[in-house]
Amino acid sequence: MAKGGVGAGSGAGALKRRDGSGVRTTQKSKDVRLSNITAAKGVADAVRTSLGPRGMDKMIEVKNGEVLITNDGATILQRMNVQHPAAKMLVDLSKSQDIEAGDGTTSVVVIAGALLSASLSLLDMGIHPTIISQGFQTALDKAVTVLSGMAVPVDLNDRETLLQAASTSLNSKVVSQYSSLLAPIAVDSVLRVKRADANSGGFSVDLNDVRTVKKVGGTIDDCELVDGLVLTQECARSAGGPTRISGAKVALCQFQISPPKTDVENSVVVQDYNSMDRILKEERQHLLQMVKKIKASGANVLLIQKSILRDAVTDLSLHFLAKVKIMVITDVERSEIEFISKSLGCTPVASVDALTADKLAKVDLVEEVTLSGEEKVVRLTGIQNAITPTSSILVRGSNNLVLDEAERSLHDALCVIRSLVRKQFMIAGGSAPEVEMAIKLAQYSKELSGMESHCVRAYADALEVVPYTLAENAGLSPVEIVTELRRRHALGEYNTGINVKKGRVTDILEENVKMPLLVIESAMRLATECVRLLLRIDDVVLCR
Amino acid sequence: MAALSIEGSRSSGQDVRSGNVTACVAIANIVKTSLGPVGLDKMLVDEVGDVTVTNDGATIIKQLEIEHPAGKVLAELAAQQDDEIGDGTTSVVIMAAELLRCANQLVLDKIHPTTVISGLRMAMRECVKCIKKELSTPTEKLGRDVLVNAAKTSLSSKILGTAESDLFANMAVDAVLQTKTIDDYSGKARYPLSSVHILKAQGKSAHESHILEGFALNAMGAAQGMPTYLKGVRIACLDIDLRRTKMKMGVSVLVNNPDEMQKMADRELDITKERIMAILNAGGNLILTTQGIDDTSLKYFVDAGVIACRRVPMKDMKRIAAMTGATLLTSFADLDGNETFEASMLGSADECVEERVRDDKLLLIKGGAKQRSNTVLLRGPNEIMCDEMARSFHDSTAVVKRVLENNAVVAGGGAVEVALSLHLENFALSISSREQIVVTEFADALLVIPKTLAMNAAQDASELLAKLRAKHAESPANKDWGLDLIEGQIRNNLEAGVVEPAISKVKSIQFATEAAITILRIDDLIRLEGENPNEALEG
Repeated sequence: MAKGGVGAGSGAGALKRRDGSGVRTTQKSKDVRLSNITAAKGVADAVRTSLGPRGMDKMIEVKNGEVLITNDGATILQRMNVQHPAAKMLVDLSKSQDIEAGDGTTSVVVIAGALLSASLSLLDMGIHPTIISQGFQTALDKAVTVLSGMAVPVDLNDRETLLQAASTSLNSKVVSQYSSLLAPIAVDSVLRVKRADANSGGFSVDLNDVRTVKKVGGTIDDCELVDGLVLTQECARSAGGPTRISGAKVALCQFQISPPKTDVENSVVVQDYNSMDRILKEERQHLLQMVKKIKASGANVLLIQKSILRDAVTDLSLHFLAKVKIMVITDVERSEIEFISKSLGCTPVASVDALTADKLAKVDLVEEVTLSGEEKVVRLTGIQNAITPTSSILVRGSNNLVLDEAERSLHDALCVIRSLVRKQFMIAGGSAPEVEMAIKLAQYSKELSGMESHCVRAYADALEVVPYTLAENAGLSPVEIVTELRRRHALGEYNTGINVKKGRVTDILEENVKMPLLVIESAMRLATECVRLLLRIDDVVLCR
Repeated sequence: MAALSIEGSRSSGQDVRSGNVTACVAIANIVKTSLGPVGLDKMLVDEVGDVTVTNDGATIIKQLEIEHPAGKVLAELAAQQDDEIGDGTTSVVIMAAELLRCANQLVLDKIHPTTVISGLRMAMRECVKCIKKELSTPTEKLGRDVLVNAAKTSLSSKILGTAESDLFANMAVDAVLQTKTIDDYSGKARYPLSSVHILKAQGKSAHESHILEGFALNAMGAAQGMPTYLKGVRIACLDIDLRRTKMKMGVSVLVNNPDEMQKMADRELDITKERIMAILNAGGNLILTTQGIDDTSLKYFVDAGVIACRRVPMKDMKRIAAMTGATLLTSFADLDGNETFEASMLGSADECVEERVRDDKLLLIKGGAKQRSNTVLLRGPNEIMCDEMARSFHDSTAVVKRVLENNAVVAGGGAVEVALSLHLENFALSISSREQIVVTEFADALLVIPKTLAMNAAQDASELLAKLRAKHAESPANKDWGLDLIEGQIRNNLEAGVVEPAISKVKSIQFATEAAITILRIDDLIRLEGENPNEALEG
């Protein structure tokens, strides 16, 4: 069957096109397109109800009985395990939006779904897919200019505005009632790690510099931005070592403080009883030498990397370290070393002989704190000379369900702020930009001629699905709201959007519902490109 | 709506909501009859045949094997209340289920779920404000009585309830007050419940439970010849093996001369002997270790006339070390690489007695140098009862702790719920949006607690509730009036000594509302049957 389609393109196929197989090929490509579009729309419909501040949540139960409740589009789609190849593209779409902007993962899928519906009716009219694809691109270019026209510049020193943007993102999440607590955490932590970018003259943010530490227990109220570094490891206290040191000098050790192990083939041979004592004493001496070297370097807090081959510490070495009043934190993961080293400003040390005073980090206070709910973390505050500024966020929640959702929501909020730092423009939320784009594109379509005009028009209409869905999810009457929005926007009040709190259409900038321009811009671009790609597929060939 | 191509089933909309609510109400119905002073217990039998008899909502729900995902959310709610407050788990589950039932009804009546959710949240905030401002009574002026009363209220629904509540309430208060520690850095008083030492011993009646002076260690002298009484105890706390010293892995012994072999065996014993002698010379007369002691080593202790205990649990050891000021040692090594034991590492206590409880012998360490310590000894006819007693006792200590930390109580016996319900009804009239209906429903839902209380006590719930509401409506000063479930009347529960910590009510209303909202927000349930769900996660 597939051969017929391929043959049609080749030179010999020119003849065949006039016979029956040519007709079938058109029919087939229609079917393929239809099946792709239907599958992709199915995905978009699935997440539609979770859009907006009053969106609902999804509960996903995987086979092993684990339950997940979330509002995050990217998470829903990833976990849903869709099978259809075209549907998978939409899942990927939301993932790219997650990577690019971090927020708006539901919107991007909803917009793509709407565009797909629009293209279906265009196809029915007999417009060729490539022309539709072209028309959508034209519409997108225009839409982006409309968006830039609406955007307002942001001053990164204006903390209030940034807070509003973070709250807008948080308000649609399960943890929305904590947005007044989480928004400042997100804003402060991103601003702390922002760096001037020498190339572009702007700022850049690497979210790897922001570490979220999860610890079950307590409630979301107990989340906090820690001034310094938090480690979830407890400090080793079996030998009664100190758990609080002020004026600390921290060493980051990648070596083990334990007696060396002989290789498997080798063994120590004891031939008389005196040497038994010597062996025991030798072990003590060996460890003692190490501990003395550490002490001599001036370190009084040790962070020791986890080791598989040898015990990182032994009871005996902890005993010695406790005696010389050195605080020990073990089980530091290999993956944490880089972050710790740059945030504390210390060099990881791979051998005890290399441990010198200049490799230590000066920290005002290192202490083990008991959090509400009896869990313990180690907190390093007052870091003197960090290599790069980092921030640590301690996320608490009464169970893993809440904890994970809190972390996901916080991540979205962080991304929002990051987007603002990257591109310092904001735009009104509450679907104001979508309506404005729809109106402007409809006007623009009148300037165009032919099928392109038709496509741009359809594109404009498709965008109205966002205000429609938002109103529907908020329990408002969608038709009323959308027509009112159109009217107000036609009057030139381009910041008018749906005010979910009041259940009316108002100037949304006054309500401080704002989002970064980058989020909506990337959503539009990604959704359009994805739809264009789907449109161009006319055959699915299964191959091994 | 287009079909979704996933491996599994998907249901959405009202079906999911109703299904979730039904599941939650079913769970609440299980615990419903255990609420209140006249509530009854449940017997839970697991697949192995182990029996648990309990009145504690959290324990019941923990044991249930809940399959419905929404039910799991409710179960987690109970666990959360248990962790944060330690009491009130039954009422929080009942309330969450009732809120859900009412909310679902509203949704069926065509009120949009988001409106219901915002209404619930509004009502919850108002409740919390009302409890904090109007309903709670500060405890500063009430003294010890209020602690005892709070403990009694918590115990009243439990097996320790009616007859023994005086005894146990006082024990709970004493035990918690004992744990008071001042945080070194912040200067705040803390009451770590983990240091309330509860010992369960089967046999004798519950009446004969008492507080033992001193720390009871469920261990005794390792050898027959050891003394059973010591005065002026010097304690060594060790985490060291006092058995024959063995060479490490990777050390092999190669002997050419048979004499050498004997010497080596002797040496292995002697290394341990030297360690023991170091302790004895330093003046230690009670030696505790978390690890083993050889029979050969025991004779040194017997000869010296001291007590030595092996296999002491680490948790107890830490308590003893803190109590007596001993240093918990993991090694004898000093900074010169030799093995020594200094007298400064010993802790001290006034006396140490071996006491017999049932067939077991306990070692009581009395009068620690740093802290006094008591042990709660719970007696009961069988193990199941002892377990339940320990759970109830734990709940009441948790309540005492909350009262001490938050210094505010509210009247129990449905008083708070009725007061809040009336308050909300008035508050609802000040709202001129659709949320008004939701707040009114919330007010109704709150009454489920007094209703269930009365019903469990086989009283006329409707009549009692009507009387109580009328009393509350008379004047705001009657806010502490609640149900007297034994007499079937209403009374001032604050004066009658039925009190609960205010924070417990606040949290339970918050948790119940949060859980109800979490479940209401769900409009889609996707069950996956795929081979490996994690693949989708990574891909």
